[in-house]
Amino acid sequence: MMGQRRTAGPTASFSSKTKDGVAAGQQDSTKHNICMVSDFFYPNMGGVESHIYQLSQCLIERGHKVIIATHAYGNRKGIRYLTNGLKVYYLPLQVMYNQSTATTCFHSLPLLRCVFVRERITVVHAHSSFSAMAHDSLFHAKTMGLNTVFTDHSLFGFADVSSVLTNKLLTVSLCDTNHIICVSYTSKENTVLRAALDPEIVSVIPNAVDPTDFTPDPSQRDDSKITIVVVSRLVYRKGIDLLGGIIPELCLKYPDLQFLIGGEGPKRIVLEEVREKYQLHDRVRLLGALEHKDVRNVLIQGHIFLNTSLTEAFCMAIVEGASCGLQVVSTRVGGIPEVLPEDLITLCEPTVSSLCQGLEMVIARQRAGTVPPPAAIHSRVRTLYTWRNVAERTEKVYDRVAKEVVLPLDRRLVRLRAHCGSVAGSIFAFVAVLDFLFLLLLQWLIPDSLIDVAIDASGPQGLWGQRRARKRELNANHHEGTGTG
Amino acid sequence: MVLKIFFPQCCNMADSGLLVGRWLPGQESAVVLAVIHYPFIPGQVKRYLSDLQRESQVELSVLGSWSMPKEGQEGMESFLRDLSTIFPQGRWLQLSREMGKRAFNCQVVQRDMGAPPSAEDENCNGNGKGGGVILIHYDQRKVMLSQLHPTEGGAGGGDSATGAEPSQLRLVFQTVAQSQPLFFIDKYDDSPLKLTHWQSEGREASILVELAKQASVPLCLLLTWLLSLWTWLCSSRILNLWPVRFVSSKFSTCVQLSYRAEHLQTVSSPRKASDHREFMRKANIFVSFFVDVALGLLLISWLYRENRIGRLADTLVPVADHVAKELQELLQWLMGAPAGLKMNRALDQVLGRFFLYHIHLWISYIHLMSPFIERILWYVGLCACLGLTFALSVLSDIVALLTFHIYCFYVYGARLYCLKIYGLSALWRLFRGKKWNVLRQRVDSCSYDLDQLFIGTLLFTILLFLLPTTALYYLVFTLLRLVVVLFQGLIHLSVDFINSFPLFATVLRLCRPYRLSEGVKFRVLCEESGKPLHLMMEINPLRYSSVLQLYRTPTYSCYPKDSWMALCRKLFVGELVYPWRHKSTKTD
Amino acid sequence: MGADSGPGAPSAVPWRKVLYERQPFPDNYVDRRFLEELRHNVGVRQYRYWPVVREASLVAQQLSCVAVFLTLWWYMYEGQLSPFMLLLAGLMSALLGYALYEALGGSTDGRRTRLADLQSAAIFLAFTFGFSPVLKTLTESVSTDTVYAMSAMMLLAHLVTFPYTQPSPPGSLSLNAALFGSVCLASRLPGALHTFAMLTCALLVFALWPCLLRRLRDRAEWGFPWAAALVSVGGVCGLASQSPGGALLLALALLVLILLCPLLLLWLQRHKNNIHGPWDEAEIREDLSRFLQ
Repeated sequence: MMGQRRTAGPTASFSSKTKDGVAAGQQDSTKHNICMVSDFFYPNMGGVESHIYQLSQCLIERGHKVIIATHAYGNRKGIRYLTNGLKVYYLPLQVMYNQSTATTCFHSLPLLRCVFVRERITVVHAHSSFSAMAHDSLFHAKTMGLNTVFTDHSLFGFADVSSVLTNKLLTVSLCDTNHIICVSYTSKENTVLRAALDPEIVSVIPNAVDPTDFTPDPSQRDDSKITIVVVSRLVYRKGIDLLGGIIPELCLKYPDLQFLIGGEGPKRIVLEEVREKYQLHDRVRLLGALEHKDVRNVLIQGHIFLNTSLTEAFCMAIVEGASCGLQVVSTRVGGIPEVLPEDLITLCEPTVSSLCQGLEMVIARQRAGTVPPPAAIHSRVRTLYTWRNVAERTEKVYDRVAKEVVLPLDRRLVRLRAHCGSVAGSIFAFVAVLDFLFLLLLQWLIPDSLIDVAIDASGPQGLWGQRRARKRELNANHHEGTGTG
Repeated sequence: MVLKIFFPQCCNMADSGLLVGRWLPGQESAVVLAVIHYPFIPGQVKRYLSDLQRESQVELSVLGSWSMPKEGQEGMESFLRDLSTIFPQGRWLQLSREMGKRAFNCQVVQRDMGAPPSAEDENCNGNGKGGGVILIHYDQRKVMLSQLHPTEGGAGGGDSATGAEPSQLRLVFQTVAQSQPLFFIDKYDDSPLKLTHWQSEGREASILVELAKQASVPLCLLLTWLLSLWTWLCSSRILNLWPVRFVSSKFSTCVQLSYRAEHLQTVSSPRKASDHREFMRKANIFVSFFVDVALGLLLISWLYRENRIGRLADTLVPVADHVAKELQELLQWLMGAPAGLKMNRALDQVLGRFFLYHIHLWISYIHLMSPFIERILWYVGLCACLGLTFALSVLSDIVALLTFHIYCFYVYGARLYCLKIYGLSALWRLFRGKKWNVLRQRVDSCSYDLDQLFIGTLLFTILLFLLPTTALYYLVFTLLRLVVVLFQGLIHLSVDFINSFPLFATVLRLCRPYRLSEGVKFRVLCEESGKPLHLMMEINPLRYSSVLQLYRTPTYSCYPKDSWMALCRKLFVGELVYPWRHKSTKTD
Repeated sequence: MGADSGPGAPSAVPWRKVLYERQPFPDNYVDRRFLEELRHNVGVRQYRYWPVVREASLVAQQLSCVAVFLTLWWYMYEGQLSPFMLLLAGLMSALLGYALYEALGGSTDGRRTRLADLQSAAIFLAFTFGFSPVLKTLTESVSTDTVYAMSAMMLLAHLVTFPYTQPSPPGSLSLNAALFGSVCLASRLPGALHTFAMLTCALLVFALWPCLLRRLRDRAEWGFPWAAALVSVGGVCGLASQSPGGALLLALALLVLILLCPLLLLWLQRHKNNIHGPWDEAEIREDLSRFLQ
């Protein structure tokens, strides 16, 4: 069973030892038309959003056609174009809570069908379990017979009522998805357990960080003190209560220690209370909400990056901190132990005493001067995770998925009922049938042949690339023509 | 670039002479203002032009020559061409017209290019690259009197910020308007220069207007003195005590009085209006005041005839009685079981009896006042001679006074209801074990003592069951109050309308549309090959909606203080609402 | 690294669970160490039958309290019990209860003195007596069915939200619901004094009895089941005197609660399947509020 789906020979596995740039053997692979769907995209800023954007850009660079479908943000409705011809559809769907759309399983079918047909999509790639639109799009894509891929960015529990329901919905959504991508091995285990998946169809492709955005600058930090930087949302999940315990202990022990905390959230009150109680106004600075572009400027002011999360699938913040040349101290939860090698990170248990111990070790090393210089750390981290690598691996997933067959309706219903339990499976099988009938109705009302095919902005026939090539040509001709001007 | 020449219509048939006007800076255009005929002495012309330039701040210069040869005047062209040497310019226009032909000929001589003035120069006449002349005809008088909107200074928010350059059109209009001193010499003057412009047939003036202008200055001074007396009176110590001020701010008559005084102050300042907006505002205020007073006098004449005042006074007391009786019946109905609602009998009785007693007091008061009402009305009605707006304000105040009891009932009902609602919400929080944290402005959980819980629950039950009764009384009285407020609001709206409507501007727009212009439109007069294009420039008058918007006198406009949502929320919670708000009042 | 590679890929290099190295395994490779950190049912309690029965008796006892209260109300409504008698009985049992409470150890935290208790009692009595005429007229215009329905819902809410784990400071919502229900019921009685008596009774049954019970449990463990049994029997008998059907229902409910539900719990416990692993959110076990005190 393990070898069933393997295709190429053993040589293919060692071909891509390249770090950046185009891998060796990809010239004549097919180009896919990919639609990324998620509720979370620009102008919202966050991990998922930047992941989608960077991945799409690298895929466009590799020659694929990529479009993005998301919900409308305020007045931003319709079609917009981002860099390199990345087309974004801002669909007018109602937002319910925390940038997630309200779902009825049906009402988004006409819009999404229109998008998929006019852009001639072959692969639908959905992101983030919190996004109702992503699950909707997977559902509709399977009804329409398109291949589907899902990327999960977060870890979930199993114990409480909301988790049970969410996991059931995820099982239903993923039971006939072609391939799933997780961002770390821990996340893979978690997703496989939650949705009762076959681990063979789950790939682990980590996130990445743009190293040019996070370069070190030791001149910005004050070397007479030791600064600990924390940049995160101030919520319970990020362990701000632990931070509230660390600050007084360490500040009392080390008079030259400073804390720089960026981010906003409901737990800010805890930090403010601690600061007031121990009179640390000059040593603890709360910067409030930070824009994405300001994060680097805050990070380079520190010596140590502290992460106290209670759960993380893949913590991009610590990679960003390491990329800026800081020493990283973090809790040992979730996928964090897999992210950075041992010499770049100090892992501790999620208790105040353990974190204090870890921090003290790193402070001692910093004082003794035995820490590697920021530039060395940055050059190491730079090669660890790159977006081009992520895109290359994702492309392999697409290639594999394109060869798979999408389950027709009868097999899909059988699979839903068999895999998802009798109650939920039957309900969603019924919903799938309704969806299919709705699709037939739509295809009768507006047949596929009547829907205009959109002009590609990216991809092999993309006009963006062509226009730029033509402009380059023109410039070259112009220079030739007026050579002696 | 195409050269645009603005040529006044009145000079179409003028005799040959020199063109006087202005080159617009930065644009390829020239505005011709007048034609100076022969004979003239160049030195005098230059002196005259420099005098005018000083007086009018417009850079006048000789633009070129105009020749319309009549019989026996051939051979002028060469003479005219030679004139260009006398008046050194960067460019020299040579316009000529033949009798019987519509189109002009135009030749432009570029002096600084060094090319000698040749007879048939190619750089004109509309073809060839880099050349071309368009002649735009305009009606000089209309353009002089017209005001282009949006005016500079921010009225209507045009693009001419203080730094940006004015547009070409605006420059043309400005040039013509500011060159008024040029148009003073007409052909009957015996000055050394003979000019043709729109006023060259002689200046028109009206005796009435001149007399009015003469009389206005002493009148303005008198009015200013009276007004200063009035303001001194108003600012005296007695009238500035807090109760007096509070009461006077509630009466709309006093507000209207102060407002009109302010208006009169604007109108009566003896200096001339500095710009168009101020002029329009003064004119609007004056006209509206005039109309107001006229309507008021009309009203007085109608009211004081046939003893209408007496009849009005006679019907007033029965009407007040009738209103009170209706209210009593309403309360009796509420004290029963109105509409089958479940009222708490005891509370019902208490509240009903309380309000009934109030009404009884009110009726007795009205009956006490009834002999004096006619006199009071007679004197109060006289104040309508100050204007219709005053009459309406007085009416509004009378209505407010007569329905004072409704206002009291509303306040009682609202306060009771509000108290109840706040009590209920606080106790509901106690019911759930929570508390309002005033410092953090949020709801926190709290562990209460046993006695607090017990008493809190009892009170909650009591308040909850008494809620329908209070709510009903509140609802009824709020509705009554809203009816009264609506009526008062209507009156205020009409007063506001009379105050702020720009009557003068509207009539001006109706009768003299060219004075308020929004832009221009061009009509092709004649288009012949080989000759420059002739266009006729016509003024687009301002739209009526823009007139209203721009020239509306700002008033203490009567606008609803809260949006609908906020109003509904306030009514629901029981806060007192004052739906109409005057901008100038500080207490509310 | 690639998504696919042949089955004969040389595995001389063992697979490591790290993301920062390029490993010669495909992305969807499943190692035999996959899910090795998965743990089942860590820290799950094993229940035994009789201790669970013991705990369940608290719930049964509370249900019987409500039944006792309803019985008393019924008697007053039928006129078979005079308010004076009820007040007297209430006073006596309050004094008895207070004595028992003090005998079992008194108030441990020493914050409330006897004077404070007396003051509280005085406030209760004065307030209730003062407001009872108002309370009596509250539901006059409401129909009987509505009153009964409201009271039933409130008493049910009381039972559902009762803090069975820690009954001593009585939970706000449960106490308030019980009091609200009793006010609704009490206002149906024929006189102001009846209302006063009913409310005093409600206070005793719903507010003070749980405190005593808790103290009993803490100090004299052996007495608790007897007290619960007493109350339950009292409830059944009381209802039986008014309505045999109700008594039967109550008895059945009590039996189910005490005997059947623990069996069900034990049976379901066997099917418990908690999954733990490295993906779990870390629990903060220490008390972090010490830094803020």
